[in-house]
Amino acid sequence: MVGQILAVVIFVAMFVLIVIDKIERHYVTLGCGLLTLLLVFGLCMHSTPAIVETLNIQSIFTADFWYAAGTSEEVSSGINWETIIFVAGMMIMVEGMARVGFFRWLCMRIAKLVHYRTIPIFITFMVVSAVLAMFIDSITVILFLAAVTVELSQLLKFNPVPMILAEVFCANLGGSATMCGDPPNIIIGTSLGFSFFDFITNTGLIAGIALIAVVIYFYFAFHSELSGGIAGKGADIASLPDPKEAIKDRKGFVISCVIFVCAVVLLVTHSVTGLTVSSIGLFIAAVTVLTAPRHIREIVGKVDYKTLLFFVGLFIVVGGLEQTGILQIVADFIGRISGGNAMLMAAIIIWFSAFASAFVDNIPFAATMIPIIKSLAAVEGASLATLSWALSMGTDIGGSATPIGASANVVGTAVAAKAGYPIGWGRYCKKVVPATLLVLIIATVCIFVRYF
Amino acid sequence: MAKQLIISVSREFGSGGHEIAEILAKRFDIPIYDSNLLEEIANSKNLDADTMEKYDEKPKNVLLSRRVRGYSNSLSEVLAQMQFDYIRELANKGESFVIVGRCAETVLKNHEALVSIFVLADMESKIARVSKHNEISRSEAEAMIIMQNKKRKMYHNRYCEGKWGDSRNYDVCINSAGLGVERTANVLESYIKERVLLREE
Repeated sequence: MVGQILAVVIFVAMFVLIVIDKIERHYVTLGCGLLTLLLVFGLCMHSTPAIVETLNIQSIFTADFWYAAGTSEEVSSGINWETIIFVAGMMIMVEGMARVGFFRWLCMRIAKLVHYRTIPIFITFMVVSAVLAMFIDSITVILFLAAVTVELSQLLKFNPVPMILAEVFCANLGGSATMCGDPPNIIIGTSLGFSFFDFITNTGLIAGIALIAVVIYFYFAFHSELSGGIAGKGADIASLPDPKEAIKDRKGFVISCVIFVCAVVLLVTHSVTGLTVSSIGLFIAAVTVLTAPRHIREIVGKVDYKTLLFFVGLFIVVGGLEQTGILQIVADFIGRISGGNAMLMAAIIIWFSAFASAFVDNIPFAATMIPIIKSLAAVEGASLATLSWALSMGTDIGGSATPIGASANVVGTAVAAKAGYPIGWGRYCKKVVPATLLVLIIATVCIFVRYF
Repeated sequence: MAKQLIISVSREFGSGGHEIAEILAKRFDIPIYDSNLLEEIANSKNLDADTMEKYDEKPKNVLLSRRVRGYSNSLSEVLAQMQFDYIRELANKGESFVIVGRCAETVLKNHEALVSIFVLADMESKIARVSKHNEISRSEAEAMIIMQNKKRKMYHNRYCEGKWGDSRNYDVCINSAGLGVERTANVLESYIKERVLLREE
């Protein structure tokens, strides 16, 4: 009982400290993780096996961690090293791509292809945002897209805010489509043994339908604001920057493109090849650094190690809740209020996850919910896959609703504000909340129709 | 050509610090930057000064903003950073000016032309000043002083390691209640002149 109370207190303190943002969030989760190990597992439970299971280091030394022949299985609880290694690998690849100017080139190339006309840029950037976010973290996608959007807005004289809002939303939507698109999906996939193919044929399908609806919605929501640009009305297109200027290292650019294509192919086929996402992450990282030996320090130095440490601490704190049975209590509660009705359970998970993710970081939320849906599936007999898709769509899409819900929103609004276009909560929510509700309704209907 | 001079004036609400800063700017014949700094930034970057003013010297709302990989979407934080960058830019260009608030004593710390001042006052003197200036009751003035100073403290301490009003962060801390605004300005003027002379030696 004391252990349970302590685990909850540490978990709540972690959330509060993350929100207050006085201490960097990786220190918060690592500190809270250490307290969980010492106080919950050590002092209250006197359980060395709980500590070993939560640290989960032994999993790295098993063959299944690197190569899973046949169907993937659910991994044990505790630190999800597969997620951490994969995220680190992808970060290295993305840094390699950013170094050679890939993202800026892509954005400029697309703008040139549509002859720098504002509405076509608006629509193509939404689609590009969604497609890139399927494979690359949404923070990087938005960092580059929003920066290019601001640059183009100054040259073409349009307000970049509508475009940035739409790009942010589509990045979150694209992230929901694949296993590697958004951190909650990586954690769900690696923890519950789903493949890239499982995601793309389930959440990917929902995201695809939703993307069409969202592009239409944003077009009608913003087209009047965006029709005022000078492009296509006598603007001197020749004076606009040439996409080729964005490429900083021609050879490196080609290599980066090849590595990116390899990463996509390996991810799409990983359920067939048996390679786990940790192997893919490690391989991609190794190839990136080995093909750019002179830039190893620069590429590795830019890796966001704070996020990786944040994951480590977070998994330990959630492990504390799991080992003390708190998450089981929450699962039992959801089971009771849904009366064992799987349809209602899925609806609760998608809408509750969406609401929570709109206000709190969706990564710790998803990590906390995974043991809950696992338990719901085991006790109440609901389909684990269906609950997982509901959790994925809820956390990924719900995060779009407010400026603080997901990392892409924070970065997008920060880039806009830095360029002198502050986006307050009112301006943000007025246009994005309806889009969020629209996608959540589409997702709920798709889940109901397809799985029940 | 006269040597560069930068005077940063931090102040308690109701202490007359702003008025003292204006007097010093006049006596040294240099421009003064306070909330007008926003206009300068807005003009130089073609932005809307009114929207920016809403977030000027406001502490960050922790519940309504977040930071990701060093990017904060707190509008008051972004605006604060914009002002800090602009102050640094002015200083690096060799301009002389008086700057009121905006954490200038920390932003320009170690700049050889900087003289940093903190103006405080007794509560009674602040109440008298604020109630007269705003034509409000004594209790209203007291509440206003407490609230404004709390905001200034939170704003300052958010961005600076040293605490707001801590004498170790400033060259001079002075209580304006003792001498009144004009004479406090006289004392500060003499001090600044001595500092300028010392630099010229």
